[in-house]
Amino acid sequence: MALILVFVVAPVGYAVWLSLTNKTLIGFEAQTPRFVGADNYRQLLTSADFLQSMGRTGQFIFFSAIVGQFVLGMLAAVLLTKSTVRGKVLFGGAILLPMVVPEVVASLAWASMLAPGQLGTVNRTLGLVGVPPTALLQEHPMAAIIVVNTWRGIAFAMIMFQAAIEGVPDDLIEAARIDGAKSRQVFRYITLPLIRGPVFLFLLLTTITTASVFGLVYFLTRGGPGAQTELTSIYIYKHSFAFFQLGLGSAASVIMLVLVLILGLTYVRLAKVEV
Amino acid sequence: MTLDASTRSNATSEPPQRPGNTSAGSGALAAGLRRAGVYIVIGLLSLFCVVPFAWVLLASLDRHANLYAKPPALSADNFIRFFHDATTPRLLFNSLLISIGATLLTLLLSVFGGYALSRFHFPGRKTLMFGILLVRVVPATATIVPLYLMMIQLHLNNTYVGIILVEAAYQLPLVLWLMKGFFDAIPLELEEAAWTDGCSRIAGAVRIVIPLSRPGMGAGALLTFINVWGDFLTPLVLLTSPEKYPISIGLFQAFSGHNQIDWGLLTATAVLYMVPTVVLYLFSRRYLLQATFTGALKG
Repeated sequence: MALILVFVVAPVGYAVWLSLTNKTLIGFEAQTPRFVGADNYRQLLTSADFLQSMGRTGQFIFFSAIVGQFVLGMLAAVLLTKSTVRGKVLFGGAILLPMVVPEVVASLAWASMLAPGQLGTVNRTLGLVGVPPTALLQEHPMAAIIVVNTWRGIAFAMIMFQAAIEGVPDDLIEAARIDGAKSRQVFRYITLPLIRGPVFLFLLLTTITTASVFGLVYFLTRGGPGAQTELTSIYIYKHSFAFFQLGLGSAASVIMLVLVLILGLTYVRLAKVEV
Repeated sequence: MTLDASTRSNATSEPPQRPGNTSAGSGALAAGLRRAGVYIVIGLLSLFCVVPFAWVLLASLDRHANLYAKPPALSADNFIRFFHDATTPRLLFNSLLISIGATLLTLLLSVFGGYALSRFHFPGRKTLMFGILLVRVVPATATIVPLYLMMIQLHLNNTYVGIILVEAAYQLPLVLWLMKGFFDAIPLELEEAAWTDGCSRIAGAVRIVIPLSRPGMGAGALLTFINVWGDFLTPLVLLTSPEKYPISIGLFQAFSGHNQIDWGLLTATAVLYMVPTVVLYLFSRRYLLQATFTGALKG
């Protein structure tokens, strides 16, 4: 009885989940060949709109995740692993906040930050150093969403780097210091090479998650003005659910899926996850 | 563990702090400046992270809220209106229903599944585990179109059941891994002892394993709840009738609607919406972060 239950109920559990994920695959595989074959792909790969959305996604990933989150997350991690810094819980908590709130709230908060005119918070801050106010979401939409996504992802980077830095043996750093190394040199030649693995994994993971960012950007810009912030995720959504070109949208999904799965496979391999 | 950031910030913070005092006790001074630099940098970074929320909080307490951050005309009016409004209580109810439903379903499936993955070494188990991990990285945007079509075929689009199933399916891989890890940590000997005392396999699992893995179940449940609670894309696509919208969609509609935006009500809704996740994180931070990073950083 017990065995049956475990062996029957457990597979049912998987089945619900597997069916949902697998059927997904069957769903679009069935959709595209049945009607138009590879036409959707041909259309996508020659469509300037789609290729531009991929380019924008690449730009978005590069500046917000690989540059922004990495640099600020590393900075936060290094400072918060210093033994002399007090108030770690407070600082850490503050940096964590953007990551834990629902994405809609994060976007809403930035809607006011980026509000046009003199009274928008960012404009007001820039005004302090003499920059005239602009309608940030209209004039610099890409830069704006890059800042917002950086802001949201600092905590993730920080936590991963913190764990990695704490794993660096103290005596190595001690030894380097005795040999006269400056803090900067210790970081450059000891800490950084030793946490290379986690850093690379972070870059891979954040690339994957940033590629799928949707709500954060859609809420603020809806892909606009024009198509200036139309990332691939927004392209898929627009074409599928606003223009009802479900076949085209699915084909775009498949392209995205393949790219992400390649990254994902690399990740699983490199992370040497124990099963 | 010190590094270049602190020294760099020293360079910028030095002149305004102590102009031209470099002779006596420069070692102590440098150390002091270095510390100040560290605090300035980390302080600014924290400020950057927190400032955007200022407006949301201020406006929610402001009788005359608008899009700009300003000192509020203090009142709890907006929150009172939230509960008496025609639509907002419904949003809250929907969010709770969907999140709790998906959490319970995920928990149930992951307890059974995790137990099987942990205790039975059936063929293909390794492949399955890797597969589950891989599914975790699949972006929701890449599967939403086929999911939508599937839901239509199953007549589950625009239903609570449909969205609960989908949300649970999204969360299951992570929680399954989490539960498997927790079950692995419980020695099999405990169960074997129960069997020799006359327990059946299932009774052993229920009496020994389930109670011991309560912390894991708690973490899994919290994580699922938070993720489903905050989801935007899935309900945006799968739900079409406003009376089924969760808060995330309600906020979006109110924000981008053609009508005059009621900023006070909007921000009050946002505050009520973020409170559960922030509070959950506040009280079980270590716990949740550990769970979030399960399988993200091993080896």
